[in-house]
Amino acid sequence: MRLLLLPFLFSTVGILSSAESFPPEQIAFFETEIRPVLVDNCLKCHTGAKARVGLQLDHRDGWLKGSDYRKVINPHNAAESVILHAVRQNGKEKTPKMPEKGDKLNPEAIEALQKWIAMGLPWPINEKRDESTDPRKHWSFQPVNPPELPENAGHPIDYFIRTKLEEKGIAPAPRAGRYDLHRRLSFDLVGLPPTFEETEEFINNPEPHQKIWPALIDKFLASPQYGERWARHWMDIARYSDTKGYEAGGRERKFIFSHTYRDWLIRSFNEDLPFDQFLLYQLAAEQLVDWKGADREHLAALGFISLSKNGKQELVIDDRIDTTFRGMMGLTVSCARCHDHKFDPVSTKEYYSLYGIFRNSLATDQPLIAEPPNTPEYKAYLGEIAKLEKKRTDYLTPLLARVLKENPKLKGNEAGLISKLPREEQKKARELQEDVKKFIAKKEMEPDKALIVKDHGKPSAQHVYIRGNPSRRGELVKASFPKLGSPSEPEPFKQGSGRLEMAKEIASAKNPLTARVIVNRVWMWHFGEGIVRTVSDFGLQGEHPSHPELLDWLAGWFVQNGWSVKKLHRLILTSETWQQSSSHPEVETTFPLDPENRLLWRSFRHRLDFEQMRDAMLAASGELDTTLYGRSVKILEPPYSRRRSVYAFIDRQNLSSVFRHFDFSNPQESTGQRPDTTIPMQALFTMNSDFAMKRAENLIATSGTNEDLITALHRKVFAKEPSEKDKILADSFLKSFHSGDKSARQNLSGWSYGWGGVDKQSGEVSFHLYQHWDAKKNDWRINKEYPVPDSPKRYLHTGNSSMHPGLGEEYSNIFRWHSPKEMKIDISGEVTRPAVGKGRSGMVMHIVSSKNGILLTKKLPVNEKTIPVELGGIDVAPDEIISFVTDCDGDTSFDTYSWDPTVSNAGNPEERWKYSVDFSGPVTPLDAPAAYAHALLNTNRFLFIQ
Amino acid sequence: MNPKFYSRRDFVRATGMGMGSIGLQSLLAGDRSLNPLSPGKTHFDAKAKRVIHIFANGGPSQVDSFDYKPALKKYNGKEMPGDQLRTERKTGTLMDSSFEFKQRGESGIWASDLFPRVAEMVDDLCVINSMHANVPNHEPSLMLMNTGAERVNLVRPSLGSWVTYGLGTENENLPGFVSLCPGGVPIVETQNWRSAFLPGAYQGTHVDTKKNSISSLIPNLKNSRLRPYQQRNQLDLVQAMNAADDVGDPQMNARIHSLELAYRMQIEASDAFDVTREPENVRELYGKTLHGDQMLIARRLVERGVRFVQVWHGAGQPWDSHENIAKNHGRLANEADQPIAALLHDLKMRGLLEDTLVIWGGEFGRTPTVELPTPGANSPNTALGRDHNHHGFTMWMAGGGVKGGFQYGKTDEFGFKAVENPVHVHDLHATILHLLGFDHENLTYRYAGRDFRLTDVHGEVIKDLIA
Repeated sequence: MRLLLLPFLFSTVGILSSAESFPPEQIAFFETEIRPVLVDNCLKCHTGAKARVGLQLDHRDGWLKGSDYRKVINPHNAAESVILHAVRQNGKEKTPKMPEKGDKLNPEAIEALQKWIAMGLPWPINEKRDESTDPRKHWSFQPVNPPELPENAGHPIDYFIRTKLEEKGIAPAPRAGRYDLHRRLSFDLVGLPPTFEETEEFINNPEPHQKIWPALIDKFLASPQYGERWARHWMDIARYSDTKGYEAGGRERKFIFSHTYRDWLIRSFNEDLPFDQFLLYQLAAEQLVDWKGADREHLAALGFISLSKNGKQELVIDDRIDTTFRGMMGLTVSCARCHDHKFDPVSTKEYYSLYGIFRNSLATDQPLIAEPPNTPEYKAYLGEIAKLEKKRTDYLTPLLARVLKENPKLKGNEAGLISKLPREEQKKARELQEDVKKFIAKKEMEPDKALIVKDHGKPSAQHVYIRGNPSRRGELVKASFPKLGSPSEPEPFKQGSGRLEMAKEIASAKNPLTARVIVNRVWMWHFGEGIVRTVSDFGLQGEHPSHPELLDWLAGWFVQNGWSVKKLHRLILTSETWQQSSSHPEVETTFPLDPENRLLWRSFRHRLDFEQMRDAMLAASGELDTTLYGRSVKILEPPYSRRRSVYAFIDRQNLSSVFRHFDFSNPQESTGQRPDTTIPMQALFTMNSDFAMKRAENLIATSGTNEDLITALHRKVFAKEPSEKDKILADSFLKSFHSGDKSARQNLSGWSYGWGGVDKQSGEVSFHLYQHWDAKKNDWRINKEYPVPDSPKRYLHTGNSSMHPGLGEEYSNIFRWHSPKEMKIDISGEVTRPAVGKGRSGMVMHIVSSKNGILLTKKLPVNEKTIPVELGGIDVAPDEIISFVTDCDGDTSFDTYSWDPTVSNAGNPEERWKYSVDFSGPVTPLDAPAAYAHALLNTNRFLFIQ
Repeated sequence: MNPKFYSRRDFVRATGMGMGSIGLQSLLAGDRSLNPLSPGKTHFDAKAKRVIHIFANGGPSQVDSFDYKPALKKYNGKEMPGDQLRTERKTGTLMDSSFEFKQRGESGIWASDLFPRVAEMVDDLCVINSMHANVPNHEPSLMLMNTGAERVNLVRPSLGSWVTYGLGTENENLPGFVSLCPGGVPIVETQNWRSAFLPGAYQGTHVDTKKNSISSLIPNLKNSRLRPYQQRNQLDLVQAMNAADDVGDPQMNARIHSLELAYRMQIEASDAFDVTREPENVRELYGKTLHGDQMLIARRLVERGVRFVQVWHGAGQPWDSHENIAKNHGRLANEADQPIAALLHDLKMRGLLEDTLVIWGGEFGRTPTVELPTPGANSPNTALGRDHNHHGFTMWMAGGGVKGGFQYGKTDEFGFKAVENPVHVHDLHATILHLLGFDHENLTYRYAGRDFRLTDVHGEVIKDLIA
């Protein structure tokens, strides 16, 4: 049997050390006498991460470490080892009887075990990890070691990339054309497409590329929209959300001030805040800035910690640790919450050293970072809040006075007093408080405040929670930083919770991970893949860098250049590597040499992400609202906001499936890289959403020839002139597009709704369209006023499943179906009048053809509920109209009825028109130019970056 | 084999440029990178190919349905002997069921009159009487049943998402995982069918079956401003432009394909949800009610290749009968009984039951003891209600390779706690995945530095349940 090979655990027990070699005869003893006993009796339960009570007996270090609760061997006196008591089943030291299932070990086996323990647990050395996976030697934990560049290396990035390509004998792709470069750069830096005019200017600029390209980069970097694009990248890392997550009992979920964090990110990117500062503020701004001073805006940075999901304390803290360490250092420490990390050198003790830091960092009153407005509206708003608060106080004051008498010790402790109230009253008090919160959340009038945390008390030791369970306390640990394989013990933190000291360790040039992780992320956001592709996992399970020297060189350069992200952009974007074409002239021979394009012999193509796509639609139609900052807006509901997608309201608990379908980052947890899928739901959004069609309509501004229209649209949508082929396709589409007869006001399935009568002789139908659609009741009426007073039209209306005729034959309720083509049809369905026996008459139904007159007349008597109205094998011509007429038969009382006919194509029963399914309010069909513009928004040309 | 999800990037790496669009269709058909919903490979031959999970949310009572405890009659109104088990609220003496139990079918399994028609089909059911979960509260128990991780707000994919991730879908014109719930959402809301860190394609599509307008079922399913033939002309134009721009890029070609899928989905999804297309006798079999129609939709969906359909009883937690259980359970079962029986019958008639796994149950069961009034927590009139009970409850499965007419595990004399062959929710999940052809320990997804799986570090396949 093969045993699990587990990595080192850096624990040592007494005189036994974990890395020992043993003489061969002792190993032989282990193999013959011990291993079979373990396999037969112990390892079913005590193996790997699932091991009972955390006791892993499948490797030597597991024996040394013991269970979650205690050591199991006594190195000084083998016979008194806990594990031997257990197998002897003598109950000493409260040991359970082992093996739990199965027979007691025979005395020989027990004796062998004792002997083996006394030998110092000989175990074959080759069952340890080999050197290459020794965490202490792992590449990312070593200091950054930037290589020297040779003289005349040229652009450093190109030097590193091309050296590797040359080794493989691959020639890089040529530089992309100016149109593609410009568009790629624009989406990359500001998340928006360039205009036609900007593109033309760049393409036609006679100056040399080496001059105009850096200038173009600087232009985009100087745009405030740069910050909007790049803040969103960091929001993925920071699991940004405008709500906390699930809250039971209808409690308010909004953060109210989440946007202040997002706005701080936008400002920080735009101002090129040095990245080490950027990290420090997000972890400990409240200890670094003057709360009343000019730099108080930086308090908002603490949203990084505060915008975590809610729930039990240990989960909130875990989320904060995970987001911090995975986000900033590419380290997955969360695994160590329940057990020592299986792969990386992070122990449970180290995890709880960090845990204590966050446990002692508590949310506190939110400080103002903006001045309250001096407007009458704001004053009125404050008045409303005061009223709600007074309501609560008025309710509570007498109750608390009563409780105070019984609990005089609780004087001044409102929360304590409330907890003594009967449950009903507590509930009411909570509701009244919730009313205030909800009012504030709804009004969105509070001046900006920062969501901060503050150190609480002195540094205190934290218990290890065994297996992550807060009710099972292990040893006490002090706040400190993980040592990541370094041999020296870390110094315990001394100030407050230790959070600022932790922040400084993270944002330090000496930290081997921080700079590497961020330059790799920036690289990925530019190229689509990182130099290390597992961008949030630089541990032993992560991938190795494709270009380790480049990564270290970049990390070193970045720190030397003041942690400036904008400088890093410039460096990357001026490289020929970034500017390569996504096509390669010799793809057939190059591709097999590096199918994954790890060596970057060409550029990656991308589909626009959700934000780029939505913003590009708004930009194309000229509707984009470029206002900076402010509260989040719901972007998927009408009236569709025209603000940039970075301002979208993100609901952590119920994120709209539209976001998810477009691989938007998951606001539950830090997201390093979004998935990249292609699914039909994405296409449904561009094909059918009202949002996309509205943009298409608003793209049409000019009237003129088709040629003018096509040119104008291509310039707006693609920033390009249409090709000859485009023009031919467009022309034929526009000419053949059949808009349908607007005057008949059919809906999209060919139904129209109205009233009138039938001439019994000629079979001619006089038909008047209903003029009013009641969106609330979902039905069609004659006009807004209903019932129409003193008129035979009094109750006329038609809905999806409920309708009513007017008084008299000429005021019948009529709906019509317009045949789209020549075919043979069947009509099925029934009429139901629920008020059986009530009223003076039943009703009369006619089915009438515009070509052949009355086809069928049926009477529903007053004392019957339902009658089938069916016809078969009728030939219809294109645009022939079939009317479904209902006459009140002389009296309208109790004539609410339902008629749900289905027209089906006799030649193809799958093709059918069912009244209730097709029923709709007024539709405004897209006309040919808008349908063409809409088509352009659906093309790959619009949705992909080359 | 581990049906690892390959990203689009992997695919691009694997196939790269310059392959043109030759073989594209076959690549698309089999490759999950471009099309995450294309059929996946199982670890071994599967007994079940699809799942219908009927969720009696709120917690149906086992001692009133499928767990017969004659001792309750004897001890009715008396203290339960032995240790009291902790549940959410205080409970008092034992309370006998108001529903009469009888032995049914050839198997002779005892079932009450609560679900008279389902009880008649007991020979098709694999009844697990010894289910148990961890805590007596709705939120964590729903999370446990649906995601295998009970902490609310912990990010774990749902069972349906895992299954869809593993198996893809047999019909790309429909979502792979659909959650039917009339009138809104259950508590914990969309978290019940979330894909979490799995790609969005595996997330459950929630359909409110109380809404009668088909276009409101799936976002953007219908175009409200173009007629079908106009849209076809428009799509032809788009595809002609796409063809003109073709550079042989797999992702761009995948999008060409998905535009066509989306176009067909508009028609096919509308059809799938339109129960009026069923013959009258079938509609009557299910009963022309909200619950009947929704169960019929479930059948129409699996028949069309949807992989996982969850059918919730309703928004909130309808089965949560803290008071007057006889009346409340009676009403709920009356809504659900005929549709469930019809579903089993109908699937059987169509030969679909063989490889469709039907699962019924709640997030937990209820106490055999009567709930006591607690001021502020429940109505003072808790007359004859039962509290939550995670210590022991009943679920049943049918079809999909499980034994029919089979009863597994036991609760104690009173039906409070699972005592014989207890089946934890993790074990149920392991068994479900096994029936679908997956080793639950190897259906994993790499995320945040580790391989996640539905059963975390738990779960054992209950082989006894498998036919």
